Amino acid sequence: MNIHLKTALDYIRRTPFQALSAIFVLTITFFVATILSVLVYSSGKIIRHFETRPQVIAFLKDEATPETIVALQGRLGGDSRVKDVKYVSKEEALAIYKEATSDNPLLSELVSPSIFPASLEFSLVDLSFAEIVIGEMRAEAIVDQVGFTANLGSETALGDVVSKLRTITFYLRVGGGVLVGVLAATSFLILVVIIGMRMASRRGEVEILDLIGATPGFIRSPIIIEALIYALVGVLAGWLLTLISVLYLTPSVVNYFGEIPVLPKDTLAFLALFGIILAGEIIVGVTLALLGSMLAVSRVRRAR
Amino acid sequence: MIRFKNVTKKFGDITALSNVSFEVDKGEFVFITGPSGAGKTTALKLILREILPDEGKIIFDGMDVCEASQKEIPGIRRKIGVVFQDFKVLSERTLRENVEVALAVAGIPQTEWTPRVDKILELVGLLKRAELFPSQLSGGELERVSLARALVVNPKLILADEPTGNLDWDTADEIMELFEKINKEGKTIIMATHNREIIAKLKKRVIKLSEGKIVGNHEHSS
Repeated sequence: MNIHLKTALDYIRRTPFQALSAIFVLTITFFVATILSVLVYSSGKIIRHFETRPQVIAFLKDEATPETIVALQGRLGGDSRVKDVKYVSKEEALAIYKEATSDNPLLSELVSPSIFPASLEFSLVDLSFAEIVIGEMRAEAIVDQVGFTANLGSETALGDVVSKLRTITFYLRVGGGVLVGVLAATSFLILVVIIGMRMASRRGEVEILDLIGATPGFIRSPIIIEALIYALVGVLAGWLLTLISVLYLTPSVVNYFGEIPVLPKDTLAFLALFGIILAGEIIVGVTLALLGSMLAVSRVRRAR
Repeated sequence: MIRFKNVTKKFGDITALSNVSFEVDKGEFVFITGPSGAGKTTALKLILREILPDEGKIIFDGMDVCEASQKEIPGIRRKIGVVFQDFKVLSERTLRENVEVALAVAGIPQTEWTPRVDKILELVGLLKRAELFPSQLSGGELERVSLARALVVNPKLILADEPTGNLDWDTADEIMELFEKINKEGKTIIMATHNREIIAKLKKRVIKLSEGKIVGNHEHSS
């Protein structure tokens, strides 16, 4: 084993309570940071879901021919105010209805594809275009009716929902960021204090190493490694706690939010999300450890 | 190997060394002697660049140690093995680890540590106690640890500051036999001591200091 790593592990073993307090604070910091990261991801997904879901549904008249439908779809596709244009045929509309009423088969048996109109569904780049676009669609010869986010009520209701979500997400990011910042600062100070105590208790050893020709880097290495061990254990423990909690809560969360993809649905994407969070936290943890130990070492050296 | 050229060192109003000049050649064994406060330890500290002189030059291995930058100091110290009067062993490391630290500092690959440490511990007669901690060793044994740590990196010069100061006569005698053996193998040794019996027994060159001045510099005559 490398002599610096061995020395760092010896220090930790000899002062277990200092080590535990450092690791405990770092674990809490990164536990909160990981939860906040997941919440920011999920709130972003919720906003995106509401922003990108089909907001306008133009129900087409039965006499609309495929050519006129394609022509209208093409015009919408070229309209910069509109995105995600999708044609839904009568059969597809029935399939959607059947899926939505799957818990009551009697309802779906009573209907045939002919009663469902074909439709063109699309989203708006910005909700402020809603009134004009809906007016234009109503003026189209092949359009029978225009529905606008029927399940949310009106454009005002959708705008309100998105606006509220944006506000919540903003406060979540700012509030969470401040909380994580305070926790990170606390972790940093505790690291500085513990490493400073370590340096002070090692003064005799440092003096001996200095006299036998050790470079400042050689003397600092075990201290920096010790701080890195605290940070990495804290990051891993905090991250792992969150991962276990999220895995435990996923069935309830998915059930509650239904079709809104608040968490990645496939395992790889889920692991990728947590992998990215872990990588980010390792970078932050290593930075905290390096800055904390450097500061503590320089303070003690100045005191000498 | 080492040359003091008109070196003066003051601590406030007290003059520790005054216009001191002497040379030590490669392979020599030289005693620096004198009463307490004569400047023996100051001379060794100057060679190690623990302190800087107020005047004069100290040339070691072709380099003026007084002109060395902070970055160059560890390199100078790695060429010098130091045996301290108070041993200066790392109390929370085993005897073997104490010696290994010197190898790590010198940047010797870890694969070479075990044979080198075993060889040096055998030389100082502590191989069987390699896994003991300093608190489990006697004063004489701790002095041997300090010597083993100084020797293991094969330094160009060995400085010993009162290495027998805390030892009984028999143990001191054994330690001095070790120093003599090492010197016969070609190592340069500068030893600060006020132990006249040791100086008389080894019959080496003696630089005598008194109140910071050289009052004698001659081969020992019995």
